Amino acid sequence: MNEILGHQFIEMTWSIALQVMFLGFIGGMLSGFIGSGGAFFMTPGMMNLGVVGNVAVASNITHKFGKALIGSRKHAELGNVDKKLSVFMAITGAIGIQLAAWLMDLMSGGGDAQEGGAGVDLYISIVFVVVLSMVSLSMLKDIMNTRSGNGSGPSTKIVDFLSRFNLHPIIHFQVADVRVSLWVVLFCGLATGYLAGTIGVGGFIGVPAMIYVFGVSASVAAGSELFLAQFNGAFGALTYAFKGMVDLRLVLLLFSGSLFGIYIGAYGTKVVKEIFIRMVTALIILLCVLSRLVNIPTYLQQLGYLDMDPSYNPYFNLASKALLYASGITGGALILFFVLKAYFQRRKIQTSLTTGVSSKQSGPIPESSV
Amino acid sequence: MQIICVSRGSFGYGNELAVKLAQKLGYDCIARETLTDGATDRGIPVGKIESAVLKRHPITEALALQMELMKAFICEQICGRALEKSVVYHGRTGHLVLPGISHVLRIRAIANDEERIKMTLRRMPNLTREKAKRYNDQVDEDRRRWVRTLYNADWEDPSLYDVTINFLNMTAENSASALVSIAQLPEFKATPASMQAVQDRLLASRCRLAIGRDDRTREIGVTVKADHGNVAVTYLPRQSKEAAFIPEVLGKIDGIQSIVCTVATTNILYIQESFDPDAPSLEQVIQVAEKWNASIELIRLLEGKGAAAPEAVTAPAAASSGRAADGGILDDASPALSHEGHPDGVAKTFDKLIQVGRANTVRTIPGGAQKLLSSLNRSEQNSLVVVGDVFLAREMSVRKRMRRDLISFLADHLKIPVISTEDLKGQYLFGTKQWLHMALCAVATVAVYLAVFYNQEAVLQFTSAPGTGRRVLSAALVALFVPIVAWIYGSFSHYVLKLIKLE
Repeated sequence: MNEILGHQFIEMTWSIALQVMFLGFIGGMLSGFIGSGGAFFMTPGMMNLGVVGNVAVASNITHKFGKALIGSRKHAELGNVDKKLSVFMAITGAIGIQLAAWLMDLMSGGGDAQEGGAGVDLYISIVFVVVLSMVSLSMLKDIMNTRSGNGSGPSTKIVDFLSRFNLHPIIHFQVADVRVSLWVVLFCGLATGYLAGTIGVGGFIGVPAMIYVFGVSASVAAGSELFLAQFNGAFGALTYAFKGMVDLRLVLLLFSGSLFGIYIGAYGTKVVKEIFIRMVTALIILLCVLSRLVNIPTYLQQLGYLDMDPSYNPYFNLASKALLYASGITGGALILFFVLKAYFQRRKIQTSLTTGVSSKQSGPIPESSV
Repeated sequence: MQIICVSRGSFGYGNELAVKLAQKLGYDCIARETLTDGATDRGIPVGKIESAVLKRHPITEALALQMELMKAFICEQICGRALEKSVVYHGRTGHLVLPGISHVLRIRAIANDEERIKMTLRRMPNLTREKAKRYNDQVDEDRRRWVRTLYNADWEDPSLYDVTINFLNMTAENSASALVSIAQLPEFKATPASMQAVQDRLLASRCRLAIGRDDRTREIGVTVKADHGNVAVTYLPRQSKEAAFIPEVLGKIDGIQSIVCTVATTNILYIQESFDPDAPSLEQVIQVAEKWNASIELIRLLEGKGAAAPEAVTAPAAASSGRAADGGILDDASPALSHEGHPDGVAKTFDKLIQVGRANTVRTIPGGAQKLLSSLNRSEQNSLVVVGDVFLAREMSVRKRMRRDLISFLADHLKIPVISTEDLKGQYLFGTKQWLHMALCAVATVAVYLAVFYNQEAVLQFTSAPGTGRRVLSAALVALFVPIVAWIYGSFSHYVLKLIKLE
């Protein structure tokens, strides 16, 4: 077994299996709650458990393929999927994933495996920190604007700016009800694919891109992103599977948690105010970013770019792990809190109704019947 | 009193037509701009709403509330005026402001592109012809977006209009003359029952505005409906605390007979010709509503012209509740009516819904699928349509076919699942079939997991084996294996959560 596992696949213990399932559950719940991703928690989570970066990304993107298939079917029933938009983005998305996989292969291929692994981990961590910091800070800014009454929602500066150029051909996406330049769509598809292939969090780029760059509504953005994720996921799964990086055990363990979590998260969205959803999302991403940031010195030390005592590495790793779990557990606890609160509220109402309090009478009605 | 709504585009003579028509008929003419100015004066940020919709800003909860208030204000103004004097209203969404009121004449005014460009150039002489054309296209696009966002409808859908006037070959003056004759047709004359519907809309709008105006309830997203003074309010579970003040807030409004407040995140439309409170299908609909935290709207669909107006059958409620018996045209074949004005079964079914906390409202709509569709407010939050026994006067096989056609028709036009009562249990509730399916999925899931984890070494060897041929095979099998497992395990988890009513 060790011969095959080597440095690429970890040995699966009960403890690791349960932790991966937990990651899947929290990731699924976050994914259901905030409409995209979940991977931002699962990918670094697996890396913290000792899974090599590219195997974590490969296993996660393969898991995402199956998850997106189930999720997009549900969204399509609700009319939230703009297939045309998704297909346009999928074309360049596939190129983006291919580019990402090639780059990571290039980085992990040369030199010894240990060094290659650290190089890939450093690269993933940096991209992760830069991109998701921007996303979470923009979201926080929007939340502050909304709370102070200065904004009506996410900024549309980019939409307004791009619409001035009128870059032909302009495509009309009927379900999303937007007109966007083909070039803008293709570029966003490429970026989404590239980031999905690099850090496994395409949704966190694809959904804001659709909202901020194309001006699509949040529900259609989430539905179309899931539809797109099927293609990106399928292509990513094929690409990484061809490179022999997919760990099917991790995929199955992630499924076992996420496919339950996603339903609970989706239920949470029905009972929580939209601004809280955005706030929880931004908070979780920021904590994840911090978690990755804390680990960067370790990778730099392993690559010889930082003169640091290697005995400190476990502490950095521990801090990173703590932050990551704090983000997931905080997010998960908040969602569960809202879900349970709604559940008990429902029970309370049912009880008050069955104990004979009528909610109908002439004129004003008492509070208890409401 | 008559209501005529003219839906107009930019520079399309719509204003002119509306003004001339109002003059010829001696009606009041109301322009959309007058109402939006009024709404702004009352603190509704119309400019902000327009900017958000037209500039494609995502609609936040706060803005959606303001949008509802704006719609309620416009509806209140038109209905209020229409109860005193006949009116001609002109605006972009004139045809959608009062859905389901039978005597509203909905007119669409269009002009050909060349004429519109000329008018644009006349008003904005600095523009080039090309820019004027682009400007008009942009305005049309904005209007499409506006209509879709506010009313979830297609601005250009001809089925939403009674008459379309094309100014290519007709002047506004002659068009108005022709429309005078149409306006006098019996189909567009107000009946006591259709006026009752206007009164109900007015009452619902006033209630909505009162809730939006009161400091204690202003942030609650509610749906308000009224039927003969009986007001139904639905609100979200998380707003229960603030919603406790709703009865007090609405208590100040005249004309309310009763208030039903239901906590619901969504709504289910339950369509039948007659309702039985003890029917198993009703129990099933209630079970689904409890799982989804939904309210249930009862729609009594009557085939043909048994009742001349949608509101007709419910009209006796007014008499029984002590208000003026303003009539309505009754179906000769109507079953016995209860003290509440609905047939006994409907009233009892509605009472049952109130007892279980799922009541929304009850309506009677005659005239088949098209009439039913046009009376539905498409911007309302409905999640499911359940079609039960309808077309009861028909022979069994014809009835089945017609019901199937009705389900297909509604499914084609509404973006929500439409299902028969027979299929409801299979799809949304838990029965033997679901237990069996869940067990099969569980067994298949366990088998797959055991197979992989008892053969970890072989699996990893296979997926990471060198050689192009092996890699291609491995990739193809992974791509096939993953969706199958996702489907099997996804179905299992879905059934488990369905079982514990967490959907």
